[in-house]
Amino acid sequence: MRRVYLHVGTPKTGTSYVQDLLFRNRERLADAGVRYPAEHPDDHFRAALDLMRLPWGGLEAEATGAWDRLATEVCGHDGPSIISHEILATASRSQVGRALESLGHATGDAGGEVHVVLSVRDLSRQIPAEWQENVKHRRTFTYAEFLAEIRDPERASRLATWFWGVQEVPAILDRWANDLPPEHVHLVTVPPRGGPPDELWRRFSRAFGLDDVELDLETSRANPSLGVPEISLLRRINQATNRHLAPAAYRPLVRELIAHQTLSERTDSPRLGLPPELRAWAGELEQAWADEVVARGYDVVGDLDDLVSERSGAPGEWADPDRARQRHVAAAALDTIQAVLLDSARLRDETERLRTELHDARVALERAYLRPTYRARAKVVRGLESGAPGRAVMRGYRALRGRSSRSA
Amino acid sequence: MGREAMERRAWGWVAHLRDGGTTPWAAWAGEADRTGRFLPGAQQLELLRRLNVSGLADLDLRRRTDLVERVLTASAPGRGRPDLELVGAVPPVTYGPQPVDPADLSADELLRVATNLLAEDLVAAGVPPVAAPRFNRPWRPFEVAGVPWLAMPVADEMTRRGRRPGGKGVTGFLLATDMATMIELAFVARSFDQGGAAWRDWSASAAAGHRLPPRADLAPMLAAWVKGIGADRVRLVLDLDQLPRLLGTRRPFAPPPVPSADATDLARRVSAPLGLLVLPAERAELLRRRLLPRLLDHPGPPSRLDDDQVAWAREQGERLRRTVAGAAYEVVGSPDRLVPPRRRPPGGEVDDDRVLRLAARLLLEGGAR
Repeated sequence: MRRVYLHVGTPKTGTSYVQDLLFRNRERLADAGVRYPAEHPDDHFRAALDLMRLPWGGLEAEATGAWDRLATEVCGHDGPSIISHEILATASRSQVGRALESLGHATGDAGGEVHVVLSVRDLSRQIPAEWQENVKHRRTFTYAEFLAEIRDPERASRLATWFWGVQEVPAILDRWANDLPPEHVHLVTVPPRGGPPDELWRRFSRAFGLDDVELDLETSRANPSLGVPEISLLRRINQATNRHLAPAAYRPLVRELIAHQTLSERTDSPRLGLPPELRAWAGELEQAWADEVVARGYDVVGDLDDLVSERSGAPGEWADPDRARQRHVAAAALDTIQAVLLDSARLRDETERLRTELHDARVALERAYLRPTYRARAKVVRGLESGAPGRAVMRGYRALRGRSSRSA
Repeated sequence: MGREAMERRAWGWVAHLRDGGTTPWAAWAGEADRTGRFLPGAQQLELLRRLNVSGLADLDLRRRTDLVERVLTASAPGRGRPDLELVGAVPPVTYGPQPVDPADLSADELLRVATNLLAEDLVAAGVPPVAAPRFNRPWRPFEVAGVPWLAMPVADEMTRRGRRPGGKGVTGFLLATDMATMIELAFVARSFDQGGAAWRDWSASAAAGHRLPPRADLAPMLAAWVKGIGADRVRLVLDLDQLPRLLGTRRPFAPPPVPSADATDLARRVSAPLGLLVLPAERAELLRRRLLPRLLDHPGPPSRLDDDQVAWAREQGERLRRTVAGAAYEVVGSPDRLVPPRRRPPGGEVDDDRVLRLAARLLLEGGAR
């Protein structure tokens, strides 16, 4: 029977890890009759951009028609399929309606069954993670400014709208699971730090119905978190370089080289949390959401306590990233300088190697030009090109030889 | 009022709006059965009510039904407030965005939905071809460049006259005018090309940073043309009345179309959702060839620089005049024309409510075609 598992969020709940794992195992999944329809790791992202008509730094231009293609693939598979992208969390009700209809749900298609999967985590981990993600996308606002915006009851700013759009669990489920049976709605809670490494995947595996499928759990793609001095440094780097660094260079140099490959390795730094004065506010929200989930009777995979920071054990010692210790920031900056220098040295070596290769190629080409046979052929061509009959002969010769022999 | 009665009242309002009703939500009291999977958002419902006020009921039944359904199922694209609940249609909740009285929604909110629909209309209509004779008339090869908003209509008109720009050994005619107008036209060209910031922010940012926008920055354009084809084949045309003679055509060219401030703002807004439906080149073509002629049917004062910005534009114009005076290429018209006058006719201020009414008119016209 056709069954679609639609994983719609939320961001910062191990989604990169899960999507990479599914993508790398898509052939094993296919052998087990499960379809993960993707030729490229970003295929579901593009489909989500298309469904939601969401601009995303120009990537949306490659997304036109991507959702319908994905839906067609899923509907053509007689068995379980998985679609996963966290930005789907913010889809509007009409976009959700279109998505479900395209997957056969709204038409009452007896052969299809849609399951919605939502992975969730307590706000005391989600709020800092969202700010950190913003900073990793060139933003320069402070943590205090971010907190003030998302706490504004009007939620008028784009930042607040986006944050609550992808994080407010009951509202997301109102949109996505409005008319689904509760047993077709699976809430995967993210275990706290320090638990067994495969526990998160075990929970997803159960939600997707993959417990009997053996998969390779090694993955390289993750979105590692940064410590307080590291994220403070990254924000300052953004402030200093945003005006000078082209967007295309930001991702490989700042996000990948500096943030992911260098700063995330500094695991001894204090982790970012919620300021103590906001913990009660967050706790009340989390408890209200957890109560709502229980009242609606959804399938909870994992421990619902992981959605409530007081019980997930999340809050640690508070370190303010807007007033990070200069000594720690300086240490992180030294590591960054070292990484950038090493990368720069590697690139210089590479440039030198390519320069030598180019020189050798030029020398070889010149040698070829100097060969007597080449000189003789060149003389014949020059002779022919100097008169109309000869040019006609050359045209005929080039037409016979094909395009590649024509002069540039 | 119980949950069911609240919902029935909301569905009653939906039915009323579907029938062409114009009663605001706060004054509505009727009830009806649910007719959909979910209640449309307050933005969609209020936009439908405004369209009804603007004369949606006058369209024939098929087109009216089509537009009503499109409005009710539309989503506001991009990042912004989600579809909102009607206040009084749902019991109080402890989460999610607060329900609203749709009459309180700003024109900006409604425009997000309306421009999405306009973008769909443009894509459905497609890019109209430029009517051109089958064969190009043999003539001296030329290119028209410079300020894009001045150059593009001339190139189109020459194509219509059978003298397509391009070819080997072209002479480059770079069209320009006073610096203030060039900056204003750069914004118009940008709005009909890629969208972006609103006039007020855009012009303030350019003036404050003392950065000429690329579409009005003539000096590098001239330098590139001189480098490309040589100064002897470059003409800077400041006296646009001379252009027909220079291009070897008898009939004069129409002045460049300058849409109103509201119309340009609408084009700017439409370009964002349009960019999600088509590639950038097609977006620019749709905005310029399909939307612009319709917007020109609704004239009004264009956006203009304020007095401080004009003073900055005069400085830039002076600087360019000095560059041009010593250049090796031919200048047609006095270089003094680059310096804008101190006093210029007043411009128009963008008004979101007027832009929304304009969007509504275009949606209705689109439905009537």
